[in-house]
Amino acid sequence: MTVWTRANGGEDQDDSAPPDHAPFVLVDRGARGLVLHALNPAARALGLSRGQSHADARAIAPQLASVPAEPERDKEALKRLALWAERFSPAVAADMALPAQEGLFLDMTGGTHLFGGEAAMLAELRARLAKAGIPARLAIADTPGAAWALARLSAAPEAIAPPGRTREAIADLPLEGLRLEAEALVLLRRFGLKRIGELYGLPRSGLARRFRGEAGLRLVERLDQALGAAPEPLEPVRPGPAYRTGVVFAEPLTHIKGVALRLPDLARTLGEQLERDGRGARRLALIGFRVDGRTTTIEATLSAPAARPEHMIRLLREKGLEHLDLDFGIDALMLAARQAEPLSTRQGKMGEDGHAASSEALAGLIDRLQARLGEGAVRRPEARESWIPERSEAWRRAGPDAPVSAAVQDRPRPILLLDPPEPVRTTAGLPDGPPVQFTWRRAQRRVVGAQGPERLGAEWWRSEPGLMNRPARTRDYYRVEDDQGRRYWLFREGLYGREDADHVPSWWLHGVFA
Amino acid sequence: MIPASRLHRSAPSSRATYPAAAEPLEEVGAGGPGDVAAALAFALARLVSAPDERRPVALVTTADWLGERGRPFAGGMRAWDLDPGRLIWVRTRREGEALWALEEVLKSGAAAGGLATAAAPPFVATRRLEFAAREGGAVGVLLRAGPAEDLSAARRRWRVTALGSGTDAFDPEALGAPRLRAALLKRRDGPPGAWDLERDDETGGLPVVAGLAGDGMDAGERRRGPRRLGAA
Repeated sequence: MTVWTRANGGEDQDDSAPPDHAPFVLVDRGARGLVLHALNPAARALGLSRGQSHADARAIAPQLASVPAEPERDKEALKRLALWAERFSPAVAADMALPAQEGLFLDMTGGTHLFGGEAAMLAELRARLAKAGIPARLAIADTPGAAWALARLSAAPEAIAPPGRTREAIADLPLEGLRLEAEALVLLRRFGLKRIGELYGLPRSGLARRFRGEAGLRLVERLDQALGAAPEPLEPVRPGPAYRTGVVFAEPLTHIKGVALRLPDLARTLGEQLERDGRGARRLALIGFRVDGRTTTIEATLSAPAARPEHMIRLLREKGLEHLDLDFGIDALMLAARQAEPLSTRQGKMGEDGHAASSEALAGLIDRLQARLGEGAVRRPEARESWIPERSEAWRRAGPDAPVSAAVQDRPRPILLLDPPEPVRTTAGLPDGPPVQFTWRRAQRRVVGAQGPERLGAEWWRSEPGLMNRPARTRDYYRVEDDQGRRYWLFREGLYGREDADHVPSWWLHGVFA
Repeated sequence: MIPASRLHRSAPSSRATYPAAAEPLEEVGAGGPGDVAAALAFALARLVSAPDERRPVALVTTADWLGERGRPFAGGMRAWDLDPGRLIWVRTRREGEALWALEEVLKSGAAAGGLATAAAPPFVATRRLEFAAREGGAVGVLLRAGPAEDLSAARRRWRVTALGSGTDAFDPEALGAPRLRAALLKRRDGPPGAWDLERDDETGGLPVVAGLAGDGMDAGERRRGPRRLGAA
């Protein structure tokens, strides 16, 4: 099915809609000055047309009002509309292939009965679009190509080609319905061809050869696509959710409380769908379809697949239902699992009673914390292949499973690590020994005991520079204790007289022991 | 003649036993700005004090706390009997968020315990934390930057200072096991006291140092100690 929204520059019309009776155009920069980009009916009635130069148009109609076109915003508006149309179908494509012929494709395969049949669905869709201030022409057919042609060129604003009768349905339409380039159309007219049906009987190879370059092949391909002889996959604006469930309201919902009331039902239905397939949601989206033809969404990510309705509800509540921007109200609400994964991967090992339950509780906890505090607020340590302390472990985003444990490190390591290390001023007894006192954060500390060194060589295979953007050097780590019983992890970077003669070795504090 | 053992027992003593098992909610304060690491280690030891516990332990920090003190280093926590695989670090911006996160952790039942850094937790928040810890069968610890005397629902309030290391049995030059002094300023189940604890490098536990055990409080603390703090 296809929707052709003739609301070119819909954005501008929303803001300061010009009256229909006054000629109004959007202008765009062309190769030779400004050209007309889009016209309202009054301007079209004056004989103006798209692509005409603005100067010519002003000569014909001096009272013409014009505003610069914003094609990028038009595209955005069309995409937004495509998202809104997802309430009718999980696969909606925004069609921007031909200028001035932008529209939407909705894959309605097996879905029209949900809206009371094809005709009822078209009527509902058109009514909802009209309510949002978007005039539209709709058609439903077996192929995207045929629906495209019917939506734009049939006499009625809503057209339905009966299943299997596409050939007849588009036979009488002009050749423009085949989505051809202007040159090809001109050539076809020269042959005396006007209607799509006139092409049916012509030999295809001869037809293709009449044109220079690829135009002939393109013509045949378009014809095949319209008749269903060649496939034409749609590219949806976003991949359809694996699981979704929705509810439609008779009256627009304007208060968030209403959403909160409906949420449990939706979650239960979605949970059942997921449970039936043994899957759990990894990404949830709660989508409100607004009466003005836009959507408003909150999304939540789960650290582990879950199908329990209570968990989904709690997570979305934690995200904040109030972030849904209801504006003038929503008339449909949808809960979708944008990403689903098998639940079985998280089942506990045999014989570990309660393992599955506790790991589910942990996943739930992590999700709630992340929903409120932000992604990445919850982390777990992961060992890495490095002996440089600050690189030896990474705090990774928490998932359902315990991260890989670090290789057992029996060397003393501090409980708090200063990253990056902080420079200290030291008084050393011997050049190669630990300091006898040092100053860190403006306080002087007298060393009463020290142990070391533990020598950690620079990882020469890494390209990142070391401290203060100098090449990394060998570090000698000392565990020192001051006269108040506090234990610090100091290191001297560089070896006297051996590495990097330009810099004398420097002292750094890298961590604090308990 | 009275047997010596009887004498010993009947002697008036303020010696309290070190409570190895943790209450649902405890407060640990650092004795001074330099004692934060010792306080953190002691708090972790309280969290993992329950035997045979494999559930994770959460560390909830605020941005302020982190900025001054560096980041938790899981490799160093292993020495305190905390397997890095059990560790979950929750970073929050404000203290209110940290207290909320700790409450979620405690009541979820998924964690053995959690500690949160807090400068001035409101009394109501501590009450909530205590309930949450009981509900989830977990241990909660509030890590305070310094000694505090405000109202709190925590059953115990500790003050931890670092002590010089013990001696190494095999190498007189080397630093021995780390020691710290934990003073119990407030408790419900007995008189306050103070203990010198030394980390056992074999088990990672924190046994009371032989010969130092007992009431290590000075006179000032003794006066302050028995006062009932908070709504205990």
